[in-house]
Amino acid sequence: MRHALRGLGPLSRAYLLQAFRSRSAIIWNLVFPMVWLFLFGFVFYRGNPSLMMPGLFTITLISGAFFGVSYLMVSEREAGILRRYRVTPVSATTIVLANAIRAMVTLSISVGAQAAVGWLVFRYEVTGSLLLTFVIMLLGGAAFVPLGMFVGSVARDMRTAPAISNLLFFPLVFASGAAYPASQLPGWMQSATRLIPSAYLVEALQGVMLRGHGLAQLSGPIAVLLLTLVVGAWVNGRLFRWETSEPLNKQAMLTAIVVLTLLYAAAALLAPAFEMIQPLGTQ
Amino acid sequence: MADALIIQAHGLRKEYGSTVALQGLDLEIEAGGVVGILGPNGAGKTTLVEILEGLRKPTSGSVSVLGMDPTTEGRSLRERLGVQLQKTALPPELTVREMLRLFASFYSSALPIDSVLDKVDLNSQADQNATTLSGGQQQRLVVGIALIHDPQLVILDEPTTGLDPKARRDLHEVIRELRAQGRTTLLTTHYIEEAEHLCDRVVMIRDGRIVADGTPFELVGQSRDSSTIWLHVDGTMDIAPLLAAGAEPLGWEGTHYKFSTTDPTATVLALGDVLRSQGLQLIDLRLRRPTLEDVYLELMGDVPEDDVEVSP
Repeated sequence: MRHALRGLGPLSRAYLLQAFRSRSAIIWNLVFPMVWLFLFGFVFYRGNPSLMMPGLFTITLISGAFFGVSYLMVSEREAGILRRYRVTPVSATTIVLANAIRAMVTLSISVGAQAAVGWLVFRYEVTGSLLLTFVIMLLGGAAFVPLGMFVGSVARDMRTAPAISNLLFFPLVFASGAAYPASQLPGWMQSATRLIPSAYLVEALQGVMLRGHGLAQLSGPIAVLLLTLVVGAWVNGRLFRWETSEPLNKQAMLTAIVVLTLLYAAAALLAPAFEMIQPLGTQ
Repeated sequence: MADALIIQAHGLRKEYGSTVALQGLDLEIEAGGVVGILGPNGAGKTTLVEILEGLRKPTSGSVSVLGMDPTTEGRSLRERLGVQLQKTALPPELTVREMLRLFASFYSSALPIDSVLDKVDLNSQADQNATTLSGGQQQRLVVGIALIHDPQLVILDEPTTGLDPKARRDLHEVIRELRAQGRTTLLTTHYIEEAEHLCDRVVMIRDGRIVADGTPFELVGQSRDSSTIWLHVDGTMDIAPLLAAGAEPLGWEGTHYKFSTTDPTATVLALGDVLRSQGLQLIDLRLRRPTLEDVYLELMGDVPEDDVEVSP
């Protein structure tokens, strides 16, 4: 096991150094979350800052887990950096985990900055447990990292990666209730919301932050997020490609899509009575 | 001694669709020294080394590197194999020292970073962002990374392509030092003089086949090529005695008349007689033995570089 993960610490550190030294990474990880924060706070949710925070955190967690992870994977593969790593004893698992660790750290910084600046400017309130809020955030971030890796493996190059990321990012944000209350969506879309994984993160965060729910009451969405993480980790072990010229494991890709769709469909059937809280300002 | 063979490849064949890159190649390399794989672009050099590194699977044939199968025992092999790929690709935003430290962490044991910096002469650039290095410095860094775990076998794919003469010489020094330490270096190149001066053994490949194999000295000796003589005298000379001695006239080249001969001794002796009997003064005489380049051109020169398939 130690042999399989040799280099994990230094590689994670190297990825983080790259992120901290790159201007575009700083814009993605710090500027964008602030833009979302002020746009929500001053424009969409005026007078109701507490209501906006669960959705806002969801957006930041998803974009942090999604774009950075997939772009790093695709660009390293395309540039031949992974090929260079391949002629050393470093394992694919080490590379994937280091990328995930980098994502979790930068994502924590993004959410942390958003939480701190948001509190200073808007004075939002958290009804439930802060610890549980924190745990759900970490779990949410972790659950979406494999999804970013999925894009990173499926996308052929840096031209297709942003297209696929955005194609998935917009429904994850806009049809899940994260950016826009699900109850204000058309009826057919409200049912479709249940098929979108980020809806469960919104549900869990709203549950603890706005309704003061505890772990027992949130076990449903938390279980869905955990299963998303497990399926995502499984499929990434099979999809990882060192080089662009390697064929994509289409069978694993389709299996993951089918399993996740069935998971969300089952979750939708088991827990249909979930009411998203509407921001007062938009009523 | 079978265990002295560090690389063994038999009947190595590699096809990419309908293109055949290697056509049943056999190669055995003993431990120690510098072996150069020489050939034009598209000859199969990179395919060959990438199979040895385990980056590609041969279509058929067997390979053993350091006693291991590169496709199934890749990770153990890479503990003892140092590689420089043809296309340099390094992670961005890291300093030279950070880069070396990162790669060192992938191995079960590695040399101290400072000794590697010394070896490739990058001490004064140690804390510089690696992407801002000059071409020659970057190439030295890439070679430094290949040497970081003190590998027994080093495979360098065109390490000096695109470097200026000074940078190339510096890199040659690094490779000579490896030889002095008893390491084995396999390098591909399309610079003939590099193969001639640096390599203990030169393997020439063309169209995925080995067409010549030996020390540079042996290869030149095997050449069917003739020596060239340039002659400049202070008057008009009757060259009939030279022709009788086996020289072939090739015509004027500036002030010099050019001959080709397979027996330079006979030609030079005949020249002495001619000068004496015709009362001429010799202004300049030059003699050139065939070089490795002549051997190379003899083996490769008649086919255009991009002509991969040979007609019946």
